[in-house]
Amino acid sequence: MLQRRTLFGAGAGLLAAPSLARAQGDQIQIAGVYSLSGTFANVGDLLNKGTQWAFEHYGTGAGKRINYTLLDDQGDPGRAVRRVQEAMGQGVKHIVGCTLSSIALPVAKEVHARGGVYIHMAGADEATGSECNRASFRWPGASYTAVNATLRPFIERNPNAKRWYTITGQYVFGDSLLSNLKTVLQETGRQHVGNSYHALSEREYSGYITAAIAAQPDVLAVCNFGNQTLDVVRQAVSFGMKRNVKIVVPWSTGLDQFQAWGPDICEGVYFGANYWHGVDAPGNRVLQEVVRAKTNAQTNYLQACGWAVAQMMVEGLNKAGTADVPAVIGALEGLSYQGPTGTEVIRAGDHQVIKDYYLMLGKARSAMRDPADFAEVLAGTKAFQTPEQAGCRMS
Amino acid sequence: MSGQVLVFQLLNGIGIGMIYFLLSVGLSMIFGLMRFVNFAHGALYLVAAYTAYVVSVLTGSMLWALLFGPLVAAALAVVAERLLLRHTYAMAHEAQILITFAVALIVQESVILLFDPLAKNVPVPDFLGGIVFLGPFVYPAYRLAVVAVSALVALLLWVALERTRFGAILRAGSESAEMVGLLGINVQRVFLAAFALGGALAGLAGALAAPLRGVEPFMGLEALGIAFVVVVVGGIGSFTGALLGGLLIGVVQSVMSSLWPEGARLMIYGAMALVLLVRPTGLMGRA
Repeated sequence: MLQRRTLFGAGAGLLAAPSLARAQGDQIQIAGVYSLSGTFANVGDLLNKGTQWAFEHYGTGAGKRINYTLLDDQGDPGRAVRRVQEAMGQGVKHIVGCTLSSIALPVAKEVHARGGVYIHMAGADEATGSECNRASFRWPGASYTAVNATLRPFIERNPNAKRWYTITGQYVFGDSLLSNLKTVLQETGRQHVGNSYHALSEREYSGYITAAIAAQPDVLAVCNFGNQTLDVVRQAVSFGMKRNVKIVVPWSTGLDQFQAWGPDICEGVYFGANYWHGVDAPGNRVLQEVVRAKTNAQTNYLQACGWAVAQMMVEGLNKAGTADVPAVIGALEGLSYQGPTGTEVIRAGDHQVIKDYYLMLGKARSAMRDPADFAEVLAGTKAFQTPEQAGCRMS
Repeated sequence: MSGQVLVFQLLNGIGIGMIYFLLSVGLSMIFGLMRFVNFAHGALYLVAAYTAYVVSVLTGSMLWALLFGPLVAAALAVVAERLLLRHTYAMAHEAQILITFAVALIVQESVILLFDPLAKNVPVPDFLGGIVFLGPFVYPAYRLAVVAVSALVALLLWVALERTRFGAILRAGSESAEMVGLLGINVQRVFLAAFALGGALAGLAGALAAPLRGVEPFMGLEALGIAFVVVVVGGIGSFTGALLGGLLIGVVQSVMSSLWPEGARLMIYGAMALVLLVRPTGLMGRA
């Protein structure tokens, strides 16, 4: 028998339920999956802000007012999937966010299975390769892009840099960077003289750097991302490696990392980056204006990435003219728009955004024109595997 | 691994180990003296590192940062002890862990609110920014300075603990705080002094480490893990144990990064397990 307390509880629950279930009609619910706590909380907040600012800026999608809801995954794939299931159970069909491949890949499967559309910024090649699906789209270039767009122009500029040593984070993304790097070195006749793997919990790299120095390389490449990359480069520079070794970081997040290093460390180091605030493009000017109004500072990669996935969703909704998921997916496929890096095109074959990836060189402090002018863009390259090469069979 | 590389890995290990020692000795002392499990110890390291960042930005001088970092950490330790922690001494260890872990999280989130979650750079002092040539290898001058400062602090601390009245009271307190109290010594004040000293040492470790690894809000909890390993390896409450434990863990970590790079971090815990198998109370601990 239904007790009075149970009934009261159910009623209270309905009243307290988030607005997800009630937003209908002239509104569209969009959810963002980000880590605001846990190991990667340092990036989740900025990604989320970029997304939030984009939805505030655009206001509507397909003529409906956008209601944005944040789902904190706490850096945990299981929790992320559960939060997405709950949100989709309440009617949310449009989802953005997530930089971690270990979270984005299961979320992509879940959104696909439940009939939604998902735009993310994860780095693993598999997301638009062997694990691609009809519902999922990716904005940034993945590890193949990062390595090829960074190393090939670097090698052209430094033909005498023959001997390469790598320091690699031992996990999926680090390995993916390393295997792509080995392929490029092999194809260009360079020698890979050694690699040091390190654990994801590692923070002290002097031992690995001593091993690298002992191998007498011409180039030290760092196959990782985030704070560990910061530490490896900082410690390599402190050991004087810049004197006779070129340091290459195929995957950097640009401005925020440069600020964390400071110009003395950045000078003379080569970086690969998905975004740079200094690129003169209409889409970037809009983004810059919004971020400057919010923060009085230049846009960093994390904000840009959060912005980009939200912009893609809005562009898709507007082109479709409806929030209907198959129509939005259809509209996104092949869509060309003015994004943060210039004209960006969403490839229909694997749902990868085709855009520039930059090779940058850190400037000397004396050459900086403003406090954010840490690096010069040497090349912008669209280096992507074909969907067939990536192994994407769209389901 | 060649002999030269081994020598340099040992040097690296000593450098890391001395920072681990500074970080851990206060934690060991506080547990030895009060049987108090302080999960907020890493927060003192964090606060000192951020103080070093702020001071270096404001003054451009890392030397001021090395002074203010330990002072701010010691002050925070004193305030925490006075306002909160002294009310928990009689509680079970589980309660102490929960309360001090909460303090650590509050400090960490406050740092994120005050700054942001991103890492910051703390420049090495200009006069220590270079490298020292040692045969075919180079070594950062700042790291050598860290070893020298840590060794000096270890020496001063040893003198303070072994050759002064304050040290005698601390050592006696770690044997029997009740007996020390019965002898007319204000034990509460001794506890407070131990907290301040432990905080200052963790703070010095944080300030010294800041130019080596930058600062970011999660460094306190990471440091806490290492500190506990060092304390367990060295033996709870032992100054010499903290020194030996720090050096052992630093050297194992460094040498293994050449021999078995992917297992270097794991071998820290391997070394701890091995020490506990041979000496369950740690290298210098007493049953």
